[in-house]
Amino acid sequence: MADSSEGEEEGKLTGGSQQLVVDDDLREMGKKAAWSVSSYKPGNGVLSLRDDNLDTYWQSDGAQPHLVNVQFQKKVKLQLVVLYVDFKLDESYTPGKISIRAGDGFHNLKEIKAVELVKPTGWVHISLSGNDPRETFVNTFMLQIAVLSNHLNGRDTHIRQIKVYGPRPNPIPLQPFQFTSTEFITYSAVR
Amino acid sequence: MLWELAANLQLSGVIPPPVCRNFQQNGTNASVAGTDNSPRSTVNSTIQAPRRKFVDEGKLRKISGRLFSDSGPRRNSRLAGESTGNTNSNVSAASGNGTTHSSKYYGSSKLSSMTLRSMTSRKAQSWATENYGEGIRNDISDDSRLNMSVSHPSGDARPLEQEGPGTSASGVDVSSTSILSGASEILALFRILGEGYRLSCLYRCQDALDIYNKLPHKHYHTGWVLSQIGRAYFEMVDYLEADHAFGLARLASPYSFEGMDVYSTVLFHLKEDMKLSYLAQELVSTDRLAPQSWCAMGNCYSLQKDHETALKNFQRAVQLNPRFAYGHTLCGHEYVALEDFENAIKSYQSALLVDARHYNAWYGLGMIYLRQEKFEFSEHHFRMALSINPHSSVIMSYLGTALHALKKNEEALEVMELAIVADKKNPLPMYQKANILVSMESFDAALEVLEELKEHAPRESSVYALMGRIYKRRNMYDKAMLHFGVALDLKPSATDVATIKAAIEKLHVPDEMEDEL
Repeated sequence: MADSSEGEEEGKLTGGSQQLVVDDDLREMGKKAAWSVSSYKPGNGVLSLRDDNLDTYWQSDGAQPHLVNVQFQKKVKLQLVVLYVDFKLDESYTPGKISIRAGDGFHNLKEIKAVELVKPTGWVHISLSGNDPRETFVNTFMLQIAVLSNHLNGRDTHIRQIKVYGPRPNPIPLQPFQFTSTEFITYSAVR
Repeated sequence: MLWELAANLQLSGVIPPPVCRNFQQNGTNASVAGTDNSPRSTVNSTIQAPRRKFVDEGKLRKISGRLFSDSGPRRNSRLAGESTGNTNSNVSAASGNGTTHSSKYYGSSKLSSMTLRSMTSRKAQSWATENYGEGIRNDISDDSRLNMSVSHPSGDARPLEQEGPGTSASGVDVSSTSILSGASEILALFRILGEGYRLSCLYRCQDALDIYNKLPHKHYHTGWVLSQIGRAYFEMVDYLEADHAFGLARLASPYSFEGMDVYSTVLFHLKEDMKLSYLAQELVSTDRLAPQSWCAMGNCYSLQKDHETALKNFQRAVQLNPRFAYGHTLCGHEYVALEDFENAIKSYQSALLVDARHYNAWYGLGMIYLRQEKFEFSEHHFRMALSINPHSSVIMSYLGTALHALKKNEEALEVMELAIVADKKNPLPMYQKANILVSMESFDAALEVLEELKEHAPRESSVYALMGRIYKRRNMYDKAMLHFGVALDLKPSATDVATIKAAIEKLHVPDEMEDEL
C-alpha cells in the first residue's frame, strides 16, 4: 500500500516534515548496525549521518551511485527508513532518485524499493513494506541506501540524517500475539 | 565532658529505647513526659549544625570549646523549657547546679550570669537535664536527694520526673498504672504496625491489609501506613486501589518519600501520564537528591517510550543511593526495553546484591532468559521470585510459560491452574493455559477457556486471533474468518496485523504446507 501511494505522490513529495514523527510501535535500529559509505569528503563522513545533528551532513566524494551501507550483526526486521534532506540548503546536492536494497551481504543485494524525491526539505519517510501482508517487514542482514541521482544533475550528494526503524519486539516473550487490552497489559508484567 | 556527651548520646541517639526508659524513670507525670520526651530526643539527634549556629548568635564565641561540647543538652533543655515554666526550672536548676556540678560547670555558670537572662535560664535547664543523664548512671541516691531538695521549693514537675527511683514514694500507685496502660497502648500500636509490616515483607498482602485495618483511625490515616497499604495493593496488582491509597498518603504527608517510587510505578501501570509527570515534578522540586524522585521521573519517560532518557533517570537514582535496589531493577527493565540484555542482567544482579529478597529483579532475570530461550535458567529465576512472593499470579503464569517451553506441559498446566486460583482477575494464566492446550492439540478445551476469556476481556485482540487460529486448524473457515476479522478490528500491532492478514490469505491452505512456505 505504501508502495503505490509513494509512487503516485512522488511529484508531490516536496515537503518532508520538520518534526520526526514515527509510529509508536516502531523503534530505531540503526544503533545496532555498522554504517559505512561508498565515499566521503573529509570532515563530512559517515558519523554526520548518525549524530542527530541536522546542521552536519554526509557528503559523498566520488562517482554515482553513492551508497550508504547498514550492516546488522543478526537478521533484523525493518519497516521504515527516514532521511533528513534539505533542498533549500543543499540544492544540487539533494538526492533525487533513491534505491533501497536488502540482502545478506554485498554479494546478493536486491532492490526492494525505488523512490524519487522532489525538492524535499525535512524528514522523508520511505516505507519498506510491500503489498503482500507477508512483506510488511524486510527481514535482512544488510540494507543499502543508494543515491542514484541528485537534483539539478548534481554530482555529489548531501544527506543529513538517516534513521532505520523496525517493529518493537513483543514485550512478552514466547507469545503468538501482542496484547492490546488494558486488562491483559496491566497483568502482563511485574515492574 | 566526653563522658557526659556519651551519656547524652545514649539517651538521645537511639530512639526506641528512650521511650521505654522514660516510662520507668519519670516518676509522677508519666503520660506528659512520655509524649514530651521522645520527640525531643529525635530533635536532639538530628539538628546538630543549627545548634552550633545558635551558640554563635548568642555572642558566646569566646567560650567556644567548653560550650560546644555540652551544647547538646542545652538544645535539649531549651525545647523542654518551652513546654514548661521558664522561671521555675530556672530556680530549681540553679540550685541544683550550685551544689553538685559546681566544679564541672563553674566556668560556664559564671559566664551565664554575665550574659543574657534568657541564656541563663536556658543553660540552667540544660544542667537540669544533665542531672537526669547522670542520675541514671551513677550515684542515684545522691542525685535524688539533691533533686528532692531542689524540686520541692520550685514546685516544677521536671526535676521530679528526672529521678524516678528516688521519689517514687508518693506517686507510685497512680503513676505505675497509667505508665503501664500507656506503655501497653504504645506497644499494642507498635505490634500492629510491626505485624503489618512483617506480613507485607512476606508479601502476604491481604493479611497485611487486614492487620492495618485494625489500626485506630488516627494512625491509619498517616502517610506511612497509607503508603504501606498502597504498596500492599500494588503487590496484589490492584493498581486502582494502590493509586487511591498513595493519593491519600500524599495528602497526609506531602513531603514524605516513603513508597513514592512504587507510587510512580503504579501510575506507570495505569498509564496515568499526567498524574505521573505531576508527581515526578513535585518530587523533584521537593528533593532533587532523593532516588525516588528520579524513579518517578524515569517511569514518566518510560511511559512515553523514551527509554534512553528513562534509563538516564534511573541511573541517577542509583547514583544517588547505590543501595536502592528498586532503582537497579528499573534500570534493568529499561535495558530490556532497549534490548541490551547484557547490561540488564548486570542491573538486576546488582539489585539482588543489595537486596536478595527483591523479587522483581529475579523476575526480570527470568524474563530475559525466557526471551533468550534459556528456559532452565528462566524456570529457576521464576521459582526464586515465586519463593519470595508466593502469591503472585503473574510470576506463576510466567513460570508456567517457562515450563511449557521446557515441554513439561502437565506441570505447566498445574501452575497455570494455581495462578488462576491465586488471582481471579488476572486473565493471563487463562490465556497461557489456552496456548498450552493448543500446543497439546486439545482444541476444544482451549476454545472453552478462550470463550470464557472473551467475557473477561472483550477487547483483547490476541484472544480472537488465537481463536481464529484454532478454528483454522479445525478447518472451520467461516468462524476462523470471523475471529480474525474481529482481531484485526481491535487494533493489534503492525506485526500481528501482518501475521493475521497472512493467515487470512492462506485460510484454505493447510497448516502443514504453510509451515513449509
